[in-house]
Amino acid sequence: MATEKNDILSKLIENAAVMVLYLNHFGNILLCNKKSESVLGLNQSEVIGKHWMGVLFGNMNKIINKNMFKAVVDEAMTYKREKNFACLINQRLISWTINPVLDKNNQVEAVALFGQDITEINERESSIKNIDTSLKDIFSSIKEYALYVINLEGNITYLGMGLEIMLGWNKKDLIFKNAGILHNASAEYPDLEFILKQVHLFGRYETEAELITKTKEVLPVILTVNQFLDGEGKLTGYIFMAKDITERRKLEYQIFQSEKLAALGQLSAGMAHEINNPLFVISGRLEMLKDESFNQKVKDNLALIANQTDRIRELVDRILKFSRKSTPAQEMIDVNKAIEAVLSLIRYNKLPSSRIEIKQIRANNLPKIKGDLHQLQEVFLNILTNAYQSMPEGGVIKIITSNFQDSCVQIQIIDSGVGIPEHHLKNIFMPFFSTKNDGIGLGLSICHNIIKNHNGSIDLVSQVNQGTTFTIKLPFI
Amino acid sequence: MLYKILVVDDEAPVRDLFDELFRKEDCEPVSCATGEEALKILKKEPFDVVLLDIKLPGMSGLEVLKNIREFDKNLPVVMITGFGFDEDLIAKTKQFGCSGYIGKNMPVAQIITTFKQFVKKAMEKSKTP
Repeated sequence: MATEKNDILSKLIENAAVMVLYLNHFGNILLCNKKSESVLGLNQSEVIGKHWMGVLFGNMNKIINKNMFKAVVDEAMTYKREKNFACLINQRLISWTINPVLDKNNQVEAVALFGQDITEINERESSIKNIDTSLKDIFSSIKEYALYVINLEGNITYLGMGLEIMLGWNKKDLIFKNAGILHNASAEYPDLEFILKQVHLFGRYETEAELITKTKEVLPVILTVNQFLDGEGKLTGYIFMAKDITERRKLEYQIFQSEKLAALGQLSAGMAHEINNPLFVISGRLEMLKDESFNQKVKDNLALIANQTDRIRELVDRILKFSRKSTPAQEMIDVNKAIEAVLSLIRYNKLPSSRIEIKQIRANNLPKIKGDLHQLQEVFLNILTNAYQSMPEGGVIKIITSNFQDSCVQIQIIDSGVGIPEHHLKNIFMPFFSTKNDGIGLGLSICHNIIKNHNGSIDLVSQVNQGTTFTIKLPFI
Repeated sequence: MLYKILVVDDEAPVRDLFDELFRKEDCEPVSCATGEEALKILKKEPFDVVLLDIKLPGMSGLEVLKNIREFDKNLPVVMITGFGFDEDLIAKTKQFGCSGYIGKNMPVAQIITTFKQFVKKAMEKSKTP
């Protein structure tokens, strides 16, 4: 029975896919199997009886590896511990298990070395490792998207360069912080909690959202969120991909605005026309009654009617002016002179006694622009009148003209008045929008149309109780 | 009588008002509501001037003007509109050969004065060879 078992064992060892070497406690090889012969490139006869170091490292030049391996084998012999080690033999990477073999007295009688050739496995693993590294590089190099990964606790575990560029945060500002720091909570867009719930349900979720920059500004983005699964398909976190859509939003808003303005223009023009006809009849009939003799009460009433009719006519005129898409006249205009004319009109006719100081900073040699003097003066008059009205207690209006990037004349009108609340800013150029009690709300929308017809731009920034700055740019010819 | 005037406007109260206003000015107004009617009348009897609304049902005021110019180059035609002073519209009417342009948004007295000025100018122009 025992012989039979020994036979099987020796066959097993002989044909094993691992290298088997059996050393006596001096380190001489007593036995080696076929796999050992093939890896070492030696016959049994060249191996048996030789010291293991000579056989294994005969033509080995990696001294460190050799010495370390020796130390491991020595340790196994001395301390009777099973040890593991890997080394290169004939360009093959061998992973060794080193077993001390003990005699009856528990003394080391021999050492068995089992060596597994892991060259291919190792190559595969290292190439996977390479892929991992380059994937990481790829992700962190993407600049158009802000990429970040959060774990199940909601903490940021990875962020790419895109996020740093887009939002201004550094890696160390965000890493291991809760992702809530990045997400703006607004009623308009889903919050982080909702997003994660959706991802949980559907595996992925895409939405418009707002992210917070390092300077606490809000950036509109398209956010795509995916589950982050490990190799076994277990959920370990979430991958966020955000694309900045500021420009798209701006464009959409502009299109929306101009469509709205165009529609309103058409509607207003039609309405104004319809009002003008009956108005003409009313005022014509009133005119005819002027020559008749009435008592004072009737006369007073007629005067009142005439007065109110004039008011309607004025309003209709403003509406028609707003809706008109007339092409501006093409005259050469010196912007500084145009402003000067408007200022003298304001100074001497409109608001002579106000405690408002006007400071002008004019660019010299400002190129002339081509356009409609009357229309542009109407714009300046409108903005300056608004500026005056915004400073009932007096203040300073600065008018700065400059050459903007050699392409435009830039006109800035800066007041130190009451300012415009933020929620009104987006409506400021809309027709019939007014913050004044007696305003029709057409002034700035007319200005907007005029400047647009001159291929220019008009923008404003405003802060409540600080003032408002209008910036107009009119292109050179 | 100062002028025989054809008033073309689709709104009766407007026509009536002009009728009274012109009569007060010692003119002889005749009125009609459409461009088609106006052309028929003009072909039948002579007028000194036409006051023509731009926005008319069917044939527009501009088309009527174009038609008039096909058979009469000199007849003074003054356009009137509820659209006020629309520079593009004014340019177009001039191109079609109108003698003047009046907005219904002007004060009535001014409308009559302006109208008479236009007619006078147009008549002088047609007299000069």
